[in-house]
Amino acid sequence: MIPATMLTNALLVGAVLFCLGLVGILTRRNLIVMFLSAELMLQGVSVTLVAWSRYHGDWGGQILVVFVLTVAACEAAVALVFVLQAFARTGRLDASAWQALREENLPRVIDQELPADDRVVPTWPHLSPAGVLPEGDDSRSLERDHV
Amino acid sequence: MQSSAANLLVLVPLLPLLGAIGTVLLGRRLGPRAHLPAVAGIGAAAVVALLLLLGTAAQVGAGHGDPLRPAEPVEMITTLWQWATVGDARSGDLSVTGNGGLGAPVAPGTANNGGAFSIPIALRLDPLTATLLTIITGVGLLVAIYSIGYMHDDPGYPRFFALVAMFVFSMSMLVAASNFLLVYVFWEAVGACSYLLIGFWYTKPEAARAAKKAFLVNRVGDFGLAIATFLLWMTYGTLDFHDTHLADGTIVEGILGQIRLADEAGYVGGAVGTAICLLMLLAACGKSAQMPLHVWLPDAMEGPTPASALIHAATMVTAGIYLITRSAPLFVGCPGALAMVSIVGATTALVAALIATVQNDLKRVLAYSTISQLGYMFVALGTGTMLGFTAAIFHLVTHAFFKALLFLGAGSVMHAMGGVIDMRRFGGLRHVMPITAATFLVGAFALAGVPPFAGFFSKDEILATLHAKAHPEAHGSDHAEAGSAGERPRDSSGQLGVAASSPFRPASMTLLARRGATGEHGSTTEKVGLDALDHPSTWRLLFWMSLLTAGLTAFYTFRAVFMTFTGPVRVPKEAGHHAHESPPAMTTPLLVLAVLSAFAGLVLFVTNALSSFLAATPSLTAPAVARTAVPHVFHWDIAIQGTLAAAIGIAVAAIGHLGRRSDSPQMERYLGPLGTLFANKFYFDQIYAALIVKPLEALAMVTAFFDRAIVDGTVDAIGQVPLAWGSAIRRMQSGLVQRYALAGVVGVLAIVLALAWQLRP
Repeated sequence: MIPATMLTNALLVGAVLFCLGLVGILTRRNLIVMFLSAELMLQGVSVTLVAWSRYHGDWGGQILVVFVLTVAACEAAVALVFVLQAFARTGRLDASAWQALREENLPRVIDQELPADDRVVPTWPHLSPAGVLPEGDDSRSLERDHV
Repeated sequence: MQSSAANLLVLVPLLPLLGAIGTVLLGRRLGPRAHLPAVAGIGAAAVVALLLLLGTAAQVGAGHGDPLRPAEPVEMITTLWQWATVGDARSGDLSVTGNGGLGAPVAPGTANNGGAFSIPIALRLDPLTATLLTIITGVGLLVAIYSIGYMHDDPGYPRFFALVAMFVFSMSMLVAASNFLLVYVFWEAVGACSYLLIGFWYTKPEAARAAKKAFLVNRVGDFGLAIATFLLWMTYGTLDFHDTHLADGTIVEGILGQIRLADEAGYVGGAVGTAICLLMLLAACGKSAQMPLHVWLPDAMEGPTPASALIHAATMVTAGIYLITRSAPLFVGCPGALAMVSIVGATTALVAALIATVQNDLKRVLAYSTISQLGYMFVALGTGTMLGFTAAIFHLVTHAFFKALLFLGAGSVMHAMGGVIDMRRFGGLRHVMPITAATFLVGAFALAGVPPFAGFFSKDEILATLHAKAHPEAHGSDHAEAGSAGERPRDSSGQLGVAASSPFRPASMTLLARRGATGEHGSTTEKVGLDALDHPSTWRLLFWMSLLTAGLTAFYTFRAVFMTFTGPVRVPKEAGHHAHESPPAMTTPLLVLAVLSAFAGLVLFVTNALSSFLAATPSLTAPAVARTAVPHVFHWDIAIQGTLAAAIGIAVAAIGHLGRRSDSPQMERYLGPLGTLFANKFYFDQIYAALIVKPLEALAMVTAFFDRAIVDGTVDAIGQVPLAWGSAIRRMQSGLVQRYALAGVVGVLAIVLALAWQLRP
């Protein structure tokens, strides 16, 4: 049992964490940062749950938080795999690179042009071919030029 | 006897119906013998009808010598089943019994039947029905046999015979039905058969158009019959012809039942009576191709020639004559309507004859001739006398023979000439097809009214009955006028066979008195004006019109004969190897009909068999009709006038056409502008096109525009709404995960705000 002022403080912390996470997920484009923002929201909720649990002297809230942490851990694993795969596909961590599920015939949303890529493509030494040419999908490797 | 006659009567329509069904079911399997079921059915029906005719004749009694003594009505009713029964059809606002909702006096028998409405499928047998059944099945059989030869290589062979048998069934039911509603049903059924047979070669645009025209023009008349039927039920409380004895002992007085017939005051005159009669006249005009509605019949010649012979010359087109004869007691109460019948008939007869004089299509000459001769029958009917009615039916019978003969002859020519029917391309065909030529000549003599052929006697009777109306003084007291009952009071019970049947009404209450009462009620004055048409001067004019028509008839008939069968032999090239006499299946009916056309008139006139037989028809035993009976005499003066007219007509035709090439300049070049008028059929089609067809087409275009623009537009607009919504909302599906997240946040915020608003203290 904690006094109401402590509850208020805890709830404020939880709310601030949640809002920071929310703002982060809505404004940041980097997939990893967005993921971190989501985690931040989860932690904000968890703080709130723990605070209420303490306030009511009921363990149910804390048990739920343990569940949330567990699920968040699993989710982090899966989400990071997705992020890695996405990066492997496009070489970019920008969420707006992924618009394929938009309505047909709608133009791609480009609200900010990426800065021109002025890096010089390194020239690799040409070795004499040996062995069998590996099966490759040219269309898939198109965007991987600077990986 | 009674029940066996009833069974036989049912067989007359039933056998052709079975024949039609058999042809439909077995037609394809029978192949070239597809005519067998139909011909067998019609043939058996013809035998049965002949037996019935003889049986009825025996019942009437060979000769009751005195024609002035009214005949006992002879009728036999057989009710097969009740079609429809409505307990109290007069409930509600429809009631006209009490206050006379139509503004007219209601017949005494209106309370009849207590307002119950029942339609029995009832067939009747009386002299009129027996006569017509014999004609229908007899001519039908001859035409069916003829068609075996005429239609032999047509792909629609089974269909044709099924339709002909179906027509014979419908027509038999029409004349045997004992109920106005049944008459209406089969009135439509023969119209449908006619439509199907005119459009038999439905791939030919002219035939399809002609069928549609016939059907639509007939609709106008059918509309009249429908309204007349409604009015009859409102006025008389039943639609049955016959009296019905109900189980509880009450009697429903039929419109043409013996109780009402014996009753001088049994029929409504005045505005309602005249309206009923005029509407029936409209119906008859449609079916019998009389003047405002005659335009369909010439076009109907697009159908196969045997169908033209059967339906559009011998039988169906006489349905109007049958209807008016059957309703004779209704008509004699309305002299104005009767006069209209005659005026319509005489005008039609004259106009059609004038048009026929310049037609070059053999079948069209005959078609206009049919219209003209039907007009003749209407003239006779309109006199409203016993002689008039019997003369009309007499002419109907002889006309059925000779016009069927002429049509079948024309068909034979057409068959041999490879489908060509333009008379200008023929010549001297008597050398090519002698039997057809000889029989056609017999038919032409009969049509022209040359003694002693059939048409002469029937035409003579029609002219005589007109003459009697035109000169009532010359014919003395023999010829009583239908409308003058009130001036010559007679004890009705003294002159009627069915005396005790009118105990409720004073015998002195006459139709005239009834009409007087109508006038006091203030019923419309123009009806009185219509009745004023019934004046000797009108009849004098009609007589001379009919006589002129007789001369024109002879002229155009023999013009056709001379153009087709005389002169140098000329055969159109379409005939090919076909230019020879037709097969026996076609010539045999021609010969039979030729014999009938030559002698039927003479036999029936000399023995007076038909007239005295028909006089026993219940409708014609009504006192108002029966008292107009006159002794059976041969009017020498009228016969000479008629024969002279025919002779002049033939002579003019001979001068103009005998021995000339039929493609040489024709006589009509002397007619000047009149010739153009006749050749264009008095511009009836053009007038109808301008007055009715074009406005209707304009209306159709407007409604089509309304349908397409407004109705379809509304529906399409409603269909556009979800699409518009969709195209607005689909922009939200950007595929950007952050926008989705934003939308989710906005939604959650909205829910939270709404909840906060709801839960506010």
